[in-house]
Amino acid sequence: MDEILKIRADDLRTKIYLGKTKSLDIVKACVARVKEADSRVGAFLKLNEEESLEQAVHSDKRVKNNEECGFLEGIPVGIKDNIMMKGESMTSASRHLENYVSPYDATVIEKLKKAGVIFLGRTNMDEFAMGGSTETSVYKKTANPWNIEYIPGGSSGGSAAAVGAGMVPFALGSDTGDSIRQPASFCGVVGYKPSYGLISRYGMCALASSFDQIGTLSKNVKDGALLASVITGKDYRDPICEPIERINYVSHIDNSPLRILKTMKIGIPKQLFNYKIDVGILENFNKTINKLKFSGAEIIEIDVPSYKYVLALYKVIMCAEVSANIATFDGIRYGYRSRNCKNLNEEYSKSRGESFGYEVKKRVLFGTYVLSTKNYHRCYHQAQKVRTLFINQITSAYRKCDFIFSPATLQMPVKFGETLREECGIFLTAANLAGLPGITVPSGFTDSGMPIGMHFMGSRFSDVKLFQVANAFEKISGFDVNKYPEP
Amino acid sequence: MINYESVIGLEVHMQVNTRSKVFCECSTQFGSKPNSNTCVVCTSQPGTIPILNKKAVEAVIKTGLALGFNINKESNFARKQYFYPDSPKNYQITQFNPPLCSRGRLLIIVRGEAKVINITRIHLEEDAGKLVHEIGRRQLDYSLLDLNRAGIGLMELVTEPELSSPEEAFEFLSELKNIVEYLGTSECSMEKGKMRCDVNVSIRPAGQKEYGVKVEVKNINSLSGVRDAIAYEVERQKEVLNSGGKLVQETRLWEAEAKMTKSMRSKEEALDYRYFPEPSLTPFELTDSFIEGLRREIPELPRARKARFIKDYGLTEYTANYLTSAKIIADYYEEALSYLKDKKASSKLLANWISTELNARFNILKISILESPISCQNLARLVSLILDGTISGKIAKTVFDKMFEKSSDPEKIIKEEGLIQISDKSIILKMCEEAIFESSKAVEEFKLGKEKAIVAIVGLVMKKSKGKANPQLVSKVLMEKLKM
Repeated sequence: MDEILKIRADDLRTKIYLGKTKSLDIVKACVARVKEADSRVGAFLKLNEEESLEQAVHSDKRVKNNEECGFLEGIPVGIKDNIMMKGESMTSASRHLENYVSPYDATVIEKLKKAGVIFLGRTNMDEFAMGGSTETSVYKKTANPWNIEYIPGGSSGGSAAAVGAGMVPFALGSDTGDSIRQPASFCGVVGYKPSYGLISRYGMCALASSFDQIGTLSKNVKDGALLASVITGKDYRDPICEPIERINYVSHIDNSPLRILKTMKIGIPKQLFNYKIDVGILENFNKTINKLKFSGAEIIEIDVPSYKYVLALYKVIMCAEVSANIATFDGIRYGYRSRNCKNLNEEYSKSRGESFGYEVKKRVLFGTYVLSTKNYHRCYHQAQKVRTLFINQITSAYRKCDFIFSPATLQMPVKFGETLREECGIFLTAANLAGLPGITVPSGFTDSGMPIGMHFMGSRFSDVKLFQVANAFEKISGFDVNKYPEP
Repeated sequence: MINYESVIGLEVHMQVNTRSKVFCECSTQFGSKPNSNTCVVCTSQPGTIPILNKKAVEAVIKTGLALGFNINKESNFARKQYFYPDSPKNYQITQFNPPLCSRGRLLIIVRGEAKVINITRIHLEEDAGKLVHEIGRRQLDYSLLDLNRAGIGLMELVTEPELSSPEEAFEFLSELKNIVEYLGTSECSMEKGKMRCDVNVSIRPAGQKEYGVKVEVKNINSLSGVRDAIAYEVERQKEVLNSGGKLVQETRLWEAEAKMTKSMRSKEEALDYRYFPEPSLTPFELTDSFIEGLRREIPELPRARKARFIKDYGLTEYTANYLTSAKIIADYYEEALSYLKDKKASSKLLANWISTELNARFNILKISILESPISCQNLARLVSLILDGTISGKIAKTVFDKMFEKSSDPEKIIKEEGLIQISDKSIILKMCEEAIFESSKAVEEFKLGKEKAIVAIVGLVMKKSKGKANPQLVSKVLMEKLKM
């Protein structure tokens, strides 16, 4: 693997500006790395080799001619295949959208285009982002770059594996339950899910609208902040998106002292220990706590009893929203359409039945069930009430601490075909339920050489502080960000 | 035989009069090329998100305020789920509870009796697209989809089941349409499908408190259709019960040509819409100042305008009723009146010309006052020519006919046709003398005390003058002559 790929995106950026590095060399190195490793990893659904190289030449020309350059001029980025890019495919890893061509750009893509990035390719994912292993993709299997017998996590498994394997400095993912942070943790990279409403969802193929957020996967915290700095900010096309101006998270990191941990109160939920935690993870967590204490952080136990409802709540509300969001895929205006149907109902059921995978069907059916008149109050409405209760408890916990800290996952990645325990990512999912920002940062390796990640969850719109703390933690974690797997 | 009474409730859909759709920026222009008013949002491409059109919310609230509704300051949207190709998301964004407006009312007058009809709610939702099953007369073995209408804002108004006859329903809709047209919040055209009405009909033995079995009738596209469909349905239900049958709760379709209703689906087949709050649109809170601002924008409504017409212009109840039955007629009247100098002297005469002559012609030609060949300015001129004695009332009718035919101004017609009234006393005196000479019998009767006999002589003078002689002057001169 080319040494250029080990340079932080933030430094690459400066080097390109100063003419010390060429975008073309970076992109060539990325393409070479993909060609070398992706036959085993399977991170990309589509590699835009020619277009990327062409874009890189243009970027280099702009720099050379002193033309106006974007914030991320000439830096390659991977895009999860559920984000709309005009004129490009957007399969969401589903058979249903195999031949779909996006008629418009997502807001984040518009912003990235203005920033001058190079779109290296589309990354694999679980079908419609439903899954936690990228195994529900109908197109290909993605492997964990640290050990290709293991799952990369999901649903943003392609983005996590691509960044983890050093194929691209950073990538976009989407996070509805834990879909950025869980695979990031499994693949040894930094995964950031912003506060709900910080990044426009316009152009992200909706999974569960009240949880969905686009976020970043990067080799290190600062690069995540760099990418986030480009894609955040108000957007009238997403009414949920808060009217907050774009924030430069990188400058906030640069200006923040590493001793920031000294003033931090870090909350550990008492409920964490109610769950089975893999030994390697628990050991690493305990070591990490000591490091945080040693750095001057105050560790506080917090009590959020309704953590026990997180999974049930999430399942009911997510599936309900899924059942309605997925309804639009009927094959009538676009998408897979079954031929030779006798009537409208047959056309609906065959088009959907033949083009959706098992996980999608299961969630649609469950969502339909919880919203039926008979079950609405008992299931959906009850879940919304408990969600409010959970938010209230979490909010009061933040009166005692600045961040809630936990292992990112309670379990290490499993081999293909094996299933993770249901509660594996519940401390990540909590952030989606309450609309909070969360970031996972690698914190070490297990004895078998698989990366472990820790998770910081902040109060809503505390994203600046979250990046600062994550950046400081990265420095004390002992995880070598310059270490790359050789899949 | 049991004496039945009918219980009727209405569900009225009116497209809100906004330039863009309710959740995207597409135009609402009627009659555009199929699928030309569509975008990624209203065709439901992946990743798109609805954005609420504030103007649509304003239109619903304004309508609610005019009908005495409570405005729910905290309101939200919901998804109503069902699969149909005209609804691209396969759910409709609508409102469940609470709607924007709760508990309003409307006063109707049927056969001289006033009745207040309570209205349950008005909410805002999106319209569906259209499926086309034929091109011209050719039936297709497939369907075409036009999404121009999909996503146009729609206000749905639901009444309490308080209407008790087809006439009341007709009157309710006419009055509602009139008010909404005054507000300008919907165009209310049933022909263009901008106003649609479903009716709920049931019957019960007179005096019984419990409701009978409810039947919903859909697919009605004219005001008279509403009246006919209810009348048909009430009779059908009576027949079923009288012949010992049982009614089932069902949805029926009105077939306008056959003038009958046909069963569409029964209650067992009713859909479970699986409503839940729309997660992409946050619940909104309306401020008092926002609502009060809209209240101030409400114009004078038909009932107030009618009262003002009676008080200020001295019109009869009947004439004022006609003039305020549609905003366009009242506007025509007041604009015409604005051209007349002596409003007091001319207001009644002008009103009569509109409510009788003009109205009669519109009825024959089936056109609206907007298409009138006589502009309000020209009608005002005609009235002032009558008032200043230039033409007689009788001649005015001839002039009016020509105006209607040629769409030109009265002075021109009078000049061309030589219709100016003769008020020259010497000419009239001469004609009167001739007439007296030729009507010896009438003169004799008059002199014997039968004053009415003078009418025949006046008639003769008018005939001689081809109707142009000033009739008042003729009478006066004849009186003087005969009493000498």
